[in-house]
Amino acid sequence: MEHATVPVAILLATLSFCILYKICQALSQQPGDSRFIMLLVFLTALLIGVPSLVMRPCVGPPIGVILAALFWFTVHRAKRGKPLYIRRIPGLSAIDEAVGRATEMGRPMMFCPGLDPLTLPTLQALSILKYITGIAAKYRTRIIVPTADSVVYTIAEEISKEAYSNEGVPEQFNPEDIRFLSNDQFAYASGCVGILNRERVASNFLFGYFYAESLILAETGHQVGAMQVAGTPAITQIPFFITAADYTIIGDEFYAASAYLSREPTLLGSLVGQDYAKAILVFIILAGAVTATIAGFGLHASWLNWVQWFKPA
Amino acid sequence: MHPALYVLGKLPPFTHGLLKPNAPWWQWLLGITGDFLLIGGVLFFLLWLVPSRWRKGFIAALTFLAGLIYSVEFFLPGDLKDHKNFLTGLVQQIGKATNVVYAFALGLGVYSLLRFHGSALARKRPGWHNNLAFFVAFALMLFAGFWSTSSKAKAAENLYDLLFVGVVAALGSTMFSTIGFFIVSAAYRAFRIRSGEATLMLAAAFVVMLGQVPIGAYMTSFLPATGLVSNLRLENLSYWILNKPNMAAWRGMSFGIEIGALAMALRTWLSLERGSFFDKEL
Repeated sequence: MEHATVPVAILLATLSFCILYKICQALSQQPGDSRFIMLLVFLTALLIGVPSLVMRPCVGPPIGVILAALFWFTVHRAKRGKPLYIRRIPGLSAIDEAVGRATEMGRPMMFCPGLDPLTLPTLQALSILKYITGIAAKYRTRIIVPTADSVVYTIAEEISKEAYSNEGVPEQFNPEDIRFLSNDQFAYASGCVGILNRERVASNFLFGYFYAESLILAETGHQVGAMQVAGTPAITQIPFFITAADYTIIGDEFYAASAYLSREPTLLGSLVGQDYAKAILVFIILAGAVTATIAGFGLHASWLNWVQWFKPA
Repeated sequence: MHPALYVLGKLPPFTHGLLKPNAPWWQWLLGITGDFLLIGGVLFFLLWLVPSRWRKGFIAALTFLAGLIYSVEFFLPGDLKDHKNFLTGLVQQIGKATNVVYAFALGLGVYSLLRFHGSALARKRPGWHNNLAFFVAFALMLFAGFWSTSSKAKAAENLYDLLFVGVVAALGSTMFSTIGFFIVSAAYRAFRIRSGEATLMLAAAFVVMLGQVPIGAYMTSFLPATGLVSNLRLENLSYWILNKPNMAAWRGMSFGIEIGALAMALRTWLSLERGSFFDKEL
């Protein structure tokens, strides 16, 4: 099995620290019983940071102690501040509009959580499903969820059932609207195409990890006149969604969806932490590009060799 | 014996205590089922004993422990000889056990299909003949699959090949081929000269598509193959567009996506994904 090399371990530890740091800062602004969670987050930062840095005995422990101290200091000294700002993401704002459209037209909606089993993109898609199902239950709009995985099917069914119960209309939930079609890629696609055409879907949501069937689903949705909102971390499928869907959520906006829709301070804090982590990565990339450019001009100095540290062994 | 069965066969007490190592496979299957029912029953009973206000915390702690095993195993360096540390064996066994649990969930998917099509058939909904076709195809494929694995008869292999290669694979290829037509209709809508950026995208798409096919290479074959001017050849232009500006955008998006995935993984590991799968308060 692969294990982290020293630069990978330190980089992962640093990026994770950024994310957990902002989560703790957001948590510290919350009243109530959040200290247990803060302690858990702190322990996790320690556990991630220290083992990875142990590989460099002269450097690791001092850096681990400094990180942990900074962490603890920030959590305890964080003041109750302004709510964290998140920019508008048109695709996610359009979800309410799409649900409203289906309600007014009296036609159902369809939500495809992608082809993957229970992975991170699918988990995120299911969190978006919960939000959409909550609105659908409120407006008594039917939502059909075809799945390509048995475990995803069971979780989607539970999410939908709970959403209807929370709105006080558990009898509105139709278990046949949550279906397992097939785990075969094109059998699933043809099943979804059939549903889109037979049910004359008014709004189509495509969130999750898609493969070649993405264009089939998106184009068929366009042909039946459905309003489509799509989001996937699969870079190869994003162009297809951009051309065929009305709104597309690109890249890490997909993982920001749960924070954007729920506005939970913890999730917003994590989002800000992601931006810090991205800033660190951009800095490393720029520094590496400048170093490589200098080395490309034939200049040789020992400090230019720091980029070799990031190369795989 | 199947490796998964062997792994699970180490569970006490039926399979470990009562069965001999060379027992037939059906005894192992019965023993494993008995062990699952017994261990599962004990675990559920213990969970039932936990006070309800501690249950979410208990589940969060279990989730944390499960994630901790994987993360510590990844971060700790492996042995120089076999690249393993003291947790690698455990991680591999957990992975196999997870696959087995996943296989059990497959039955739920089949149940969903049977329930949906069965209820449509029972109520004779419009298009009920399609639901009947599902049952016929299901039964036929089930029979063909079991027959081909349990029998060495040529007829069994032929039937399986006919159904899988001749029908299922062919239908999948048919669906795949419709993508070509959908691409044309999507491209017809997308590649319009509406703005400067759209025009640039149209030109880039034109160059890249022509650079992939022999006729594109033929169109600029009059240009020299080496030197500065050779960069204007369609195949070289296409290569440059795909591997320089396109790759930069690709990698930029990948960085953002992977950071987002890291953040989500951390939130899920620490049970901080509030309002999505968990209630507001943990």
